[in-house]
Amino acid sequence: MISRPIPHSKIFVVVPAFNEGSVIRATLKPLVALGYSVVAADDGSRDNTWRQLAGLGVHRLRHPFNLGQGAALQTAVSYALKQGASFIVHFDADGQHTPEDIAGMLEPLIAGKADVALGSRFLRKDDWQSVPPSRRLLLKGAVFVNWLLTGLWLSDAHNGARAFTRRAAQQVVLRENGFAHASEILQQIRTHKLRFVERPTRIRYTKYSRLKGQPIWNAFDIFVDLVIRRVLR
Amino acid sequence: MTPIQLLLIFFSLLIAVFYFQRLRSRLLDRLIFFALLVAAVVMVARPDWSNALANGLGVGRGADLVLYLGISGLAFLWLGLYTRQRELDMRLTELARRLAILQAEPPKKKKVSKKK
Repeated sequence: MISRPIPHSKIFVVVPAFNEGSVIRATLKPLVALGYSVVAADDGSRDNTWRQLAGLGVHRLRHPFNLGQGAALQTAVSYALKQGASFIVHFDADGQHTPEDIAGMLEPLIAGKADVALGSRFLRKDDWQSVPPSRRLLLKGAVFVNWLLTGLWLSDAHNGARAFTRRAAQQVVLRENGFAHASEILQQIRTHKLRFVERPTRIRYTKYSRLKGQPIWNAFDIFVDLVIRRVLR
Repeated sequence: MTPIQLLLIFFSLLIAVFYFQRLRSRLLDRLIFFALLVAAVVMVARPDWSNALANGLGVGRGADLVLYLGISGLAFLWLGLYTRQRELDMRLTELARRLAILQAEPPKKKKVSKKK
C-alpha cells in the first residue's frame, strides 16, 4: 500500500461544546493552526459559546436546545462526513487534550493498520503521572465496568480523544445522547468488528476541566443507562 | 401458591413479553381500555362481586384485589410511556441534528485557505 500524505483539511476534528464559552477559543485555535478542519457543535449552550465560535475559521453548528454530549458528537460527525472527511477525530472542548497528540493517533489509521484509535492517558509514564491519584482509581474502576459492559479491556475507559477512519465513523452511529456514548462507542466497535488501537494522549488537568468534568456520581447514571439499554433494547 | 400470586406472576411475564415484542396495536390498546372500563363499572355497581371475586382468588378484600391489579396496570403504563419517550427523544434528536447541519456555518475564507 502506498502511503501518501493526507491533507490536513481532510482530517476533521469534531468538538462538542456545552457552555464552554470561556475556554472554547483557546481549545480550537491550535487545532485550526495545525491546518485541521474543525467542526464545533454548540449543544444549545446558554452562555456565549456560539458567539465565541465566530471568526475562528471553524465550521460551527448549533443544536436549538441541549441534547447531550453524545448527540452533539454525532451531529458534528454526520456533518463532517457530509463535508467529505477522510478521518474524524473526537476532541473535548474544555482544553484537556493536546492537539499534538492527534498526529500520533492518526498514524495507524493512515497506515491502514486500524479503523479506530482510542486515546489513553495510561500508556506513557509522564502522561499517567500527571493524572491526580483520586482520578486514577476512578478511571481504573471505569475500565473494569467498561469491560463488563462492552467486553473490551482498555487501559483508559473514558478518554474523549478518539480517531476514526471515514468508514468506521460511518458505522459507529451514536444513539445515546448523554454521557453513555463513551461505552456505546466501544460496544459498536465490537459489534462492527472494527480494528482498534490505543494511542497515548496527554490530559491537562486544569482547575477548569476538573470542575467541568463529570462528577463521580455521573458514573452511576451512565451505568444505569447502559444496563437499561442492554436489557430492554 | 394462591391464585392471586399466579395471576400477578402472569402479569409480570406479560409485561416482559409486551416490551420485547413491542406489541403495540391500536386495537389492543382499545380493547384493554374497554375491558378496564367495564371492570370499573361493575366493581362500582356491585361491590359485593369484587369481594366475592377477591375471595375466590385468595385475596381477603375486593379493595386489595383492585390495588394489586392497579399496580400491575401502572407497570404496563410506565413501560409503555418509557418506550414512547425514548422514541420521541430519538425523533427530536434527529430533527435538531438535521436543523443544525442545515444551518451550519462553514468557516469564512478570508485567509488564503489551502483547499484540496
